[in-house]
Amino acid sequence: MTSTRVDNAALFAVLSSLADNKQAIGRRYAYWSNGAPALEAAVAAAAMTQDELGHARTLYPLLGDFTQAEQEPQQIEPMTRTLHYHLTFLDHDFQGWSDFVATNFLVDNALTTFFEAAQDSSYEPLRLRSRKIVQEERVHAIHGEGWVRRLAKVGGAVRAVLVSSLNRLWDETLCWFGPDDDPAMQQLYQDGVIAATPAELRSRYLDKIMPTLNSLEIPVPVAFDAATKRWQPTEPLPWSRWDVVGKRLRAEAS
Amino acid sequence: MSNTATSSPPTPQRCEALNESTVWLVYARKTYDEPLYEVGNVMADDVELAKVYARSIFDEFNWIEMVIVPRETIVTVIAS
Repeated sequence: MTSTRVDNAALFAVLSSLADNKQAIGRRYAYWSNGAPALEAAVAAAAMTQDELGHARTLYPLLGDFTQAEQEPQQIEPMTRTLHYHLTFLDHDFQGWSDFVATNFLVDNALTTFFEAAQDSSYEPLRLRSRKIVQEERVHAIHGEGWVRRLAKVGGAVRAVLVSSLNRLWDETLCWFGPDDDPAMQQLYQDGVIAATPAELRSRYLDKIMPTLNSLEIPVPVAFDAATKRWQPTEPLPWSRWDVVGKRLRAEAS
Repeated sequence: MSNTATSSPPTPQRCEALNESTVWLVYARKTYDEPLYEVGNVMADDVELAKVYARSIFDEFNWIEMVIVPRETIVTVIAS
């Protein structure tokens, strides 16, 4: 019998990462649905939790369409999946509301940058889901930016804790798009699955978040290159700790 | 516990600093042939956050229109 499944390890890997990150974000958000600083923010957290878990639920079933899932069918169900290809930062509960805000602002925007580049994907299931996700994420982005502004402008310890949360997520979020020469991501670009290379995705992402961080004078290791009119990292990313399979950073040796 | 004297202004406590003070009245309507009516209010000092809060709190219907108005801009014509 001929299998009708898709044989594409690169696409399978990135879909796994997207689904796991959405699932992990949803679970972390859920905890704050009754712990946010205000009732309004708690309700917004609950709504975003539903959205994130909903996005994960639309992505996991796609994994079953791939030959890469045949050997371990339990890995395509979130309830039986034992692989966790989400960011290491999301392994643990948020330490406070500022971790929620940093995840909302940095990680959610990074994933959305990917989905924006997949709205005309040659892989139809991803194309359709991306358009819907991008639409829903607009509200999340406003929420993240609004709270970053709010916490930063309070100043003092509140601002310091926010900056700490952003710093702890910074490297891993920028790495998530993969090294510039990542063969899997380059293959997806060549196949028309996504409309941008890792370097281009990272650049689009910085274009999205830097106006806010810059206006609030929050220090991050990037600089605006006037020649290319692009934001560029000023420090090398920690690729020595990059887990290619899990698309996450290994914990630093203590 | 004694406070240490300092020349810099005191940093507000976290809870106090994050208190919202602006009340926004939320108006919405479900059909084109009905007027906007008040469905409730949200508190937020940032207009963009106020819009997010209004959307997420009053999401029980598929509204065709929703607007928010800062309560402080209301002008009373006939007082109750």
